Amino acid sequence: MRGKDVTLDSVSITYPNGFTAVAPTDLRIEAGEFFSILGPSGCGKTTILRAVSGFIEPSQGRVLIGGEDMAGKGPNARPTALIFQNLALFPLMPVWENVAFGLEARGIGKRARRDRAQELLDLVALGDQGDKLPSELSGGQRQRVAIARALAVEPSVLLLDEPLSALDLKLRQHMRAELRAIQRKTGVTFIYITHDQGEALTMSDRIAVMNNGVIEQVGSGDEIYSQPRTAFAASFVGEINRFEGRVETVENGTARIVTPLGRFRARNPEQLAPGADAMLFVRPEAMVPGHAENRLSARLKRRDLEGAFLNLFFEAQGVELSVHVTNDGRAPELSGQDLTGLGFSAERAVILPAGPLARTGSELAAQ
Amino acid sequence: MSDLADTRSGAPVFRLPRLISADGLLTLYTWAFLAFMFLPLLLMVLSSFNDVSPPSVTDWRGITGKWYAFFWMPEEALRADPVLRALDRDRFVGCFGNSVLVAALVVPLSLMLGLAGAVLLTRWRSRANGVLWWVLLSPMLAPGIVLGLSALVFWGRLGVDAGLFTIVMAQTTFIAGYPMLILMARLQRQPVELEEAALDLGATPFRVFRRLTLPYLAPALASAAVIAFMASMENYNTTMFAKGGACTFATEIGAMARNPNGHPPVINAVGTVIILLTVAAAGLHTVLTRREAR
Repeated sequence: MRGKDVTLDSVSITYPNGFTAVAPTDLRIEAGEFFSILGPSGCGKTTILRAVSGFIEPSQGRVLIGGEDMAGKGPNARPTALIFQNLALFPLMPVWENVAFGLEARGIGKRARRDRAQELLDLVALGDQGDKLPSELSGGQRQRVAIARALAVEPSVLLLDEPLSALDLKLRQHMRAELRAIQRKTGVTFIYITHDQGEALTMSDRIAVMNNGVIEQVGSGDEIYSQPRTAFAASFVGEINRFEGRVETVENGTARIVTPLGRFRARNPEQLAPGADAMLFVRPEAMVPGHAENRLSARLKRRDLEGAFLNLFFEAQGVELSVHVTNDGRAPELSGQDLTGLGFSAERAVILPAGPLARTGSELAAQ
Repeated sequence: MSDLADTRSGAPVFRLPRLISADGLLTLYTWAFLAFMFLPLLLMVLSSFNDVSPPSVTDWRGITGKWYAFFWMPEEALRADPVLRALDRDRFVGCFGNSVLVAALVVPLSLMLGLAGAVLLTRWRSRANGVLWWVLLSPMLAPGIVLGLSALVFWGRLGVDAGLFTIVMAQTTFIAGYPMLILMARLQRQPVELEEAALDLGATPFRVFRRLTLPYLAPALASAAVIAFMASMENYNTTMFAKGGACTFATEIGAMARNPNGHPPVINAVGTVIILLTVAAAGLHTVLTRREAR
């Protein structure tokens, strides 16, 4: 099996009711890449997946797979295979027939189908489960059947629509490693849809962060996490502290921002000009008690022990700050009214244009 | 239950002396209801074994099987019986044969129409769905005589005489609704993703239908067939208007029951057999539904 590259050439998708699910998008996914599209539910990521697999045609633009225009080709004529969120295993067929279904559709004889199904079931470590019904398997096993079934048609591109979301945490973490291993072994291009940043960060070569039908940033996990380019990307991936303010001065790729908590210097990758409305973002682990280039004073409100590290929650003039420190015995204790000095370096903080943010956990819980 | 009444307000509550508890009342009602439903049937079964015509259970003249044996007793025995010799056995059997023939055509026709309608209504997403649903189901709600008459008039205009053909057409128009409802209920429970997954794996829509949809529907198709068969066999009013000179089992029983001197107990015997068959069919249906649920 060989992966193929996938290109979205100014693809936009508008539903018949007028809702624009995907704004004009250019995207190139390399052959053999593990590419994740990460975004909250309703951001348009599944719509992109369905446009690549052929279940919907883009309203504008072209989808190319291996350089070939896919216009007018239905899902059964594309070199893609889709793994559905609910897996969509055929309940009345034994596992091996599920795996061999794509071969059956291609008119391959029963003997050859059975052999090929066996190889694939061996690949996903289900060699002895072929004669069971899907309902007799565990969640993780069903997951692997779905993967084997998709690989059976030797797709150039495997599309995965949040396939792990139904599994419990331990299994999910195990399946991440397994999916990554299968991708490496087969060399197939994986396009992985998820709202779980942990999945995206651990498995992907590159990640596209998507919101409201727009791809906000494409980059490696490290880039997305450490060098976010938009307020949404910064706030959606991982925990982050945010200060709203206005750019005061700029110099050498950094800028100084005025916030209610003080003046801070930080990187200015979007080259904001003085006077621009901006947000300053600092990761909890980049903020340290004690001295640093940027300083502020805050009151410790809560101290959550996670084991190897501590989550400290500070409050400064109505702004909540989250700080992660390793549990080295030197972390501040809860002590009532005392102010603690916090600091962060300009290198590990970023100033971005003010913009929509990802919803926080408490906002989601209030829904 | 009755305690709720006096906790609601502080006002004094007048209470009837308690002759029977709420549960007791419910039990009494249930038994009364069951008696109302099944006593007539019980009387019919009993009178089908009583050697008296017209049928009675109060005027008991001894047990006989001749009302059943009517259908297979030799010609001489038939002519010797004062009640049975007035009946036209050949016609009765012929009408029954007509019913079976009609059902044999109505069942596959209504399964095909019902399946098409069910697939259309569950898989075709359109604003017209709501309208279509009512259009397809309206024959089930329309009075039977309207269906019978309209089939008669429609086919008459096309030069087709009323007879078994018009009966089949008239019955199919409303019986097709039953399979449609049953199959829709089943199809709605099949995730669309299954069909999408099959398409995505390269299957043609026909293969998807044959390998996924049809096996999935099989138990529902079987129970729909049973229900369509029973609906066809027992239909009276629609058939009555569409039949022209032909007869079916139901219309013939209807004709015999209209005898001013009381109907022959043969009808009670037939009714008893129908009860047995219905209970068997209901049992079969339950088994199929159980299997469907898996």
